[in-house]
Amino acid sequence: MATLTATRPIFRASLRSAQANGHAVFIPQCRKIVFEYCDKWPSSANTRTFLLKHLRSVAEENPHVELVVRQRNHKEPIARGFYINDRDKVVPLNGFEVNGIQKKVQLLLDSSGAKIKPLKRRTIESTTESARGIWSGLHVDELFKI
Amino acid sequence: MQNAQRRLASTATAQKLKPTIPLSSVRTFPPPQALKPKDSKSPIFFDSDTWAASQPPPPAAVTAFAHRVGLGKLTTSPKLIQQACTHESITLPYSKLHPNKPLPLTNTNLATLGNSLLGLFATEFVHASYPHLPTRVVKAAVSAYVGPTTCADVAREMGAAPLLRWYRAPNTLLRPAVLHHEALSSVSRALTALVYQERSIEAAKSFAHNYFLSREIDLRAMIKFTNPKKALALTVEKFGREKPISRLLKETGRFSVSPVFVVGIYSGQDKLGEGFGSSLSMAEFRAAEDALQRLYLTRTPPDQLRLPSQTFTGDVFGNLSSLKSTPYIPGELGHAEVNYGSAGRSSIVNPANRTLSEEELEED
Repeated sequence: MATLTATRPIFRASLRSAQANGHAVFIPQCRKIVFEYCDKWPSSANTRTFLLKHLRSVAEENPHVELVVRQRNHKEPIARGFYINDRDKVVPLNGFEVNGIQKKVQLLLDSSGAKIKPLKRRTIESTTESARGIWSGLHVDELFKI
Repeated sequence: MQNAQRRLASTATAQKLKPTIPLSSVRTFPPPQALKPKDSKSPIFFDSDTWAASQPPPPAAVTAFAHRVGLGKLTTSPKLIQQACTHESITLPYSKLHPNKPLPLTNTNLATLGNSLLGLFATEFVHASYPHLPTRVVKAAVSAYVGPTTCADVAREMGAAPLLRWYRAPNTLLRPAVLHHEALSSVSRALTALVYQERSIEAAKSFAHNYFLSREIDLRAMIKFTNPKKALALTVEKFGREKPISRLLKETGRFSVSPVFVVGIYSGQDKLGEGFGSSLSMAEFRAAEDALQRLYLTRTPPDQLRLPSQTFTGDVFGNLSSLKSTPYIPGELGHAEVNYGSAGRSSIVNPANRTLSEEELEED
């Protein structure tokens, strides 16, 4: 090249767009839930009842989730949710009644799979610029003097 | 801990991308080919990665994926979706592992068709939304909306990564190595083509708009200038306005270590752009950039958008769709950008055209 340009070239592989889930369509983040139960132990009794009676309706209401049932003997019952961000959430199901198990399953279905982060101390985070712009001391009627 | 840190990035990603199969999809595990029979002493040639990659995903996972993307009612069987998730790199190892079985259907043709469709929808959308955008920026924007990186990202965000069947083929003399993002990008393109094939072009258009063209791109970062003052002067001349003049609007700290100058660039009475800087020339540069960006980034409001693909009615077989098409009113064509700085790397400037009277005078 005879002349050097002041600008850096843009490489084609770096041209990408950012996700906007929910702006036009929403992709639910939970893709699979695996239920593991024991066939004998009483701690899995409520889980077994749930699997026999309520799992079918959960599957019908959530066709985007793959539901897997595994027998895991002599262990406590769990529900493991797999998410699109490659993370998983494990929820123990012992100690809950059937409606409690339903609530935990709903929790797994609603979750995004992201790590739980404390929101109390976080300042505003946004992908868009501020609506009113950032204040400038040069753009007021009287020049701002420090 | 130190050894883990020293591990190369390539091996780390290779570990992460090793094919994994859900146990629910395999009947007998470990596979009989992997086990050595008691009688024979011959060695067994079994590659677990190839075997894992050639396993089909469980039908429940494929159906769930189809429903997640809104294509649950597209077909009755998950075979088409499975075809969309199968990259052609799987055929060679599959044929070696299962010489008697028929080869799995791959998504190459679908991906090519989907690529063309996405390019069509993206180009008309970008051009209609930003009528004054320079050509090179339109091309960059189209790449950002439906290019290879975005297609791979879309496929990953849909959850196609565990369903993708591919093989990391090495470099050969005839074709380069197959990369994971390349295989993934074929999935989202193939899905667009599937929607076109099974439904109609309008359905494919709405699929493209929902999953690709609703994403966010940084258009401002794609507009770059080497000499914005010159480009602005030529553009203003093209629009038939007065020559641009820059005026100092505000300043502070001129001889200090941190001066700030605010310069406005005017064409007659109209302020075209404003810029700040720590030097007068920098502020003028930014003002010219601002003026050009205000022109290039003028956007048609989405409700007033008129896309040429509105005139496509009907499906592949020429049957008119039941939806009544509204009469198409073409959008206004934007002014083409000036030649300077628009033709990529060429810095050719055309000499100013002489009028006929001048030439006649010269002849005399």
